[in-house]
Amino acid sequence: MDFLSEIKSILTDILDIEGFRISEKTYLIRDLEAESIDLLELAVCLNAKFKIEVNDDEIYLKQLRAFIDEAQREKSDIIKYLAEKYPFLSPARIEEILADLDGGPALKIKDLISYVKWQRK
Amino acid sequence: MSRRVVITSIGVCSSIGFNLEQIADNLKEKRFYFERPSFDPQIVSCPIVSVDFKKSIGPFKDRRYLNRGALLCVAAAGDAARNSLLDKLSLHEAGLFVGTGPNMDVGGECPEIRQGKIGQSDLMALWMLRFLPNTPTSAISKITGIHGENLTIATACSASLQAIGEAYRKIKDGYLEIALAGGGDSRLSPGGILAYKKAQVIFAAGGDPQKASRPFDKQRKGFVPGEGGAFFMLEELRHARSRGAEIIAEIKGFGSSMDGYNMTAPQPEGLWAQVAIMNALAEARMSPEQIDVISAHGTGTSLNDEMEATLIDRIYGKHKPPVIAIKSWIGHASAACGALELAIFLACMQSCYLPEIRNLDESCHSGINFVRMGQNYSFSSGLIENFGFGGQNSALVVTKPPL
Repeated sequence: MDFLSEIKSILTDILDIEGFRISEKTYLIRDLEAESIDLLELAVCLNAKFKIEVNDDEIYLKQLRAFIDEAQREKSDIIKYLAEKYPFLSPARIEEILADLDGGPALKIKDLISYVKWQRK
Repeated sequence: MSRRVVITSIGVCSSIGFNLEQIADNLKEKRFYFERPSFDPQIVSCPIVSVDFKKSIGPFKDRRYLNRGALLCVAAAGDAARNSLLDKLSLHEAGLFVGTGPNMDVGGECPEIRQGKIGQSDLMALWMLRFLPNTPTSAISKITGIHGENLTIATACSASLQAIGEAYRKIKDGYLEIALAGGGDSRLSPGGILAYKKAQVIFAAGGDPQKASRPFDKQRKGFVPGEGGAFFMLEELRHARSRGAEIIAEIKGFGSSMDGYNMTAPQPEGLWAQVAIMNALAEARMSPEQIDVISAHGTGTSLNDEMEATLIDRIYGKHKPPVIAIKSWIGHASAACGALELAIFLACMQSCYLPEIRNLDESCHSGINFVRMGQNYSFSSGLIENFGFGGQNSALVVTKPPL
């Protein structure tokens, strides 16, 4: 299954935008300006399309900053800590996200794909 | 000095055109479209066949929350706002008055619900927005940048004329300088048609579909459902003049009332409908003799047309102004009918033309000057009347722009 093109088609529909704006590297919120109601609709569509249970907190990394604080408080290894919370993200990707926090929500289309693949296993 | 209210722009989505010139041309050339819908060949409907909402509304992700009636509503409102050439700041302070109808696409929108659970996983998270009456109002605010006083009015077939009347009053009484007002609706879904059929109010007979909509004719057999949307930018006269806006018409008076008689049938003598009309005339400081043309509600149902003909005869007596019935051209657009009929009335007034009441072969009432043939006719005032399910009555007096 071509996950990128499936997600692209869902997002062009939900956000009423052209498909060329979406690649694996596109930021869902920073670039495509998805709002909270769009994320709700996206979860419903992913659920129906891929027959998976979507957990909004997980897929959208909603508690990312809270988890980072927790890890720091507990003096644990942040990457290991986050890898446990987000088993669908590779350690390399987590590292990338941590370096990218200042620019705003770091969630990219490729993270959605990782989540879907992980859920379908 | 009292405040006067004028119309400075129009947006319209109708089965006979998307602007006043097109509408006037189609009326003169007798172009219209009625069909038997594929899902129910027993009835006749009057759909808008060529409308591309993606194009007419533009990129707008909340479009997914708009049912067909709401789409028509938002498309017309967006056009009226653009055509007004008002700047952003003026629109921020403008009011918004919207007549809407319910989404009755029951089979299409609500797949089986059993014990409160729905057997469809791809239902939108905010699916409920497709049913809320104020969804088009919110969408119009988002698209146009209007943030002022607003009302969503859902008084059946009287709704959009009431929306225009309420907006007119808000400006006249000094609460607003500008307001966008109108409505949109469509019930051309299997659920909507089923509802009308059960109520036995729509035409469901054989024969040529082009002859189904026949207001005030002895052979009328119920109304033909249509759809559409129309909006008007209303503005205080001095405000409109100070910015050099084109003035299309003046709204002179408005009246509304309720029958309190029957949930669907009109009070047979039109006693309370008369009150709405007389109040509109009183507000306009005009007598019935000063009304040049009447745009009748004229649905083609047995009860409405009988009541309305008697009422017109009683109010206008010997004066007998010409009576037009737009539903013979576009069907009955439910909550949107008043706004659409005002737009079409203005198209007629601008182009000095009166369209015939289509299919009126033998009139149900002899005392009325029904327009039987399309004709060039110069006129400068009119009264639009609409009566809705639930005994909702409304009337609006309009004239040519002040000199």
